[in-house]
Amino acid sequence: MSAEPRLAACELSVKFDRTTVLDHLSVGLPDGQVTAIVGPNACGKSTLLRSLARLQKASSGQVILDGQSIAAQNSKSIARRLAILSQSPVAPEGLTVRDLVLRGRTPHQSAWRQYSVEDAAAVAAAISATGLNGLEERVLDTLSGGQRQRAWIAMALAQDTELLLLDEPTTYLDLPHQVELLELVRKLNRETGRTIAMVLHDINLAARYCDHIVALRGGQIHSTGTPQSVITQNMMQDVFGLSCTIIADPNHGTPHIIPT
Amino acid sequence: MIYTVRLGSLSVRLARRHLLIGMGLLLALLIAGGMALQLGQFDLGAGDLWTAYRGELDKISQMILLDHRLPRVLVAIGAGAAFGVSGAIFQSMLRNPMASPDVIGFNAGASCAAVLAILVFGSARFVLPWALTGGLLTAALVLLLAWDRNGKSGIDPYRLILVGIGASLTLGATSDLLMSMTDEQRAADMAQWLTGTLNARNQADAALIWGGLAALTPVLIWLQFPLNRLIMSDDFVHGFGLRLAGLRLLITGVGVLLAALAVSVAGPLPFVAFVAGPVARRVLKTGAPVLFAAALVGALVTLGADTAARMLSVVQLPAGVFTAVIGAPVLMWLLVAQFRKGAL
Repeated sequence: MSAEPRLAACELSVKFDRTTVLDHLSVGLPDGQVTAIVGPNACGKSTLLRSLARLQKASSGQVILDGQSIAAQNSKSIARRLAILSQSPVAPEGLTVRDLVLRGRTPHQSAWRQYSVEDAAAVAAAISATGLNGLEERVLDTLSGGQRQRAWIAMALAQDTELLLLDEPTTYLDLPHQVELLELVRKLNRETGRTIAMVLHDINLAARYCDHIVALRGGQIHSTGTPQSVITQNMMQDVFGLSCTIIADPNHGTPHIIPT
Repeated sequence: MIYTVRLGSLSVRLARRHLLIGMGLLLALLIAGGMALQLGQFDLGAGDLWTAYRGELDKISQMILLDHRLPRVLVAIGAGAAFGVSGAIFQSMLRNPMASPDVIGFNAGASCAAVLAILVFGSARFVLPWALTGGLLTAALVLLLAWDRNGKSGIDPYRLILVGIGASLTLGATSDLLMSMTDEQRAADMAQWLTGTLNARNQADAALIWGGLAALTPVLIWLQFPLNRLIMSDDFVHGFGLRLAGLRLLITGVGVLLAALAVSVAGPLPFVAFVAGPVARRVLKTGAPVLFAAALVGALVTLGADTAARMLSVVQLPAGVFTAVIGAPVLMWLLVAQFRKGAL
C-alpha cells in the first residue's frame, strides 16, 4: 500500500440544516482492499460513503481522489474511476438485466455511442462475474432479491472503475444471500484488485469478509484497522453500547461477537 | 430481439418490438389522417392531394383540401405529437406520471398569456411569442418555487407537482378574469380557444408546428440518452457523472418550448400531454421515456378527438372537449394504479 490512499476524506464535515452528521472526519480507504464501514444507526456511515462518491456536498473539509479535491474534478472523469451503488436502488419498470447493466456504461457512452464493442464486452464480463448468465433478458422485477442485488452490482461493475462503493448491499437479503453477495464482493477484490468499500450492519460478516474496518460513532472515526484490531469489547461498548464477548470464529478465526 | 447498429463511432440499440409497434402506430396515424381528410360535405380525400397540389383540381375543391382540411389534419398531428413528447419528457424527468405540462401549469401559463394577447391585439394571430413567454415564465416561477436549495438535484419533484397544480388553478382563474373583461363575441372566441380547438387552422399554423418539430427533432433524439438515465434515482445520475441540475433546466426548456408551440396552434388541449406517455409506455411494456411512441400516441389522440368533434357535433365543438373525455378516465386509472402501488 502506498502512503497516500487514492480515496480519502480529509477533515470532512457534513451538516444537514443545523445537524452535524460528519464532524471533521479524516479517513482513507486502503488501496486494493475491502473496507467495511460500521457503526450504529444514524452515525453517518451512509453519509460518509456518499460524500466519498461526491453524492453529498461537504460543509467543510474535502474528499481527495487521486491527489485532488473531488469537488474540483469533472464528474464524468470521476465516474470512470469510482462507482457507487446506493442503498435499495429502484429501477424503471420493465428493465431487463442487460439494459440495467448497460446503464453502468454511462460514463463511457454518449448519445451517439450507446453500445460500442467495449460496452458489450464490459456488460458480458460483469454479467458473468456476478453469475447472471442466462438471465440477461429477464425483467428485473421477475428476479429473486439475491439475483436482483447481483444485477445492481453487475451494473456497478460494468462501469469498469478501480474503486467501488456499496451502500448496505446486503439489506433485505436473507443470510445465505448475504453470504453469497459478500463472497462475490471478496472474489471481485481478489481477482481484479478493485478497492471496495461498503456500509455493513452485520459486524460478524464484516469481520469475516473485509480486510479493513472503519468504526464510526457520532460522525467521527472511533477506530480503523484490521478486523482483529478494531472489533474489540471496548469498541462494541463505546460505539454500539453493547456489552459482548468476542470469540474467534471457529471456521475462519475472525472476531465473532456474542452479545452478553 | 434487439438490433445493434454500429457505424464508425456511432452505435445504438433498437428493439424489434419497439420498431414494429412504432410502425403500427404510424400506420394507424396515416389511416386516421386519411379518414380525417375524407370527412366533410365535399367528396374529397387523400387520393386527391396530388392532383390538388399540381393544381389540376377545381378552385373550390383545391381550397377546401389544401387550405382547410389538410392544414387542420397536419396541425392536429403536429400539436398532438408536440404535446405527447412534452408530456413524456416531463413525466420521465420528474419520474411521475402526474408531472405533465397540462397538470403542472405550463400549458395554463402559455394559454393565459395567449388570452392576454388576444385581448390586447384583438386576434389570435400572434399568440406564439406570447404563449412561449407565458409558458416559460410559468415554468420559471414554478421551478423557482420548487427548487431544492439543500440538495444537489435542483428540482424537488413532489414540490414541483404541488406548486404546478397551484399555478395551473391560479392561471386558469386569471384567464377567466381576462375573459370577463371583454365583449361577449370575443369572450366566446376565447372560451373556445381556451378549451383547445382546431377549427379554421391554416397553412401558417401547420408550418409553425411542423417547423418547430423539425427543428427540435435532433435535440429530442439526443435527449433520449440523458432521459433514459434521469428516470433512475438522482444518485445514479450523479454517480454516472451526469450534471443533473443543468440537464433538468435544459430539458424543462425543451419541454416548455414544445408545449408552447402546441398551445399556440391548437390551444391548451387538455390531457393530450398527460395521456400520451403512459399509454405509449403501456403499449411498449417499458418504463423508458419513449418519446417517439409518445408523439404518435399524442397525435392519434388529438386527431381522433378532432375528427370526433367534427363528426359528432351539429355545432362545432372544440376538440378539447373530446381530449378531456379521453383523458379523464386515464387520469383516474393512473391515480388508482399509483394508489395501489403506494406511490400516493
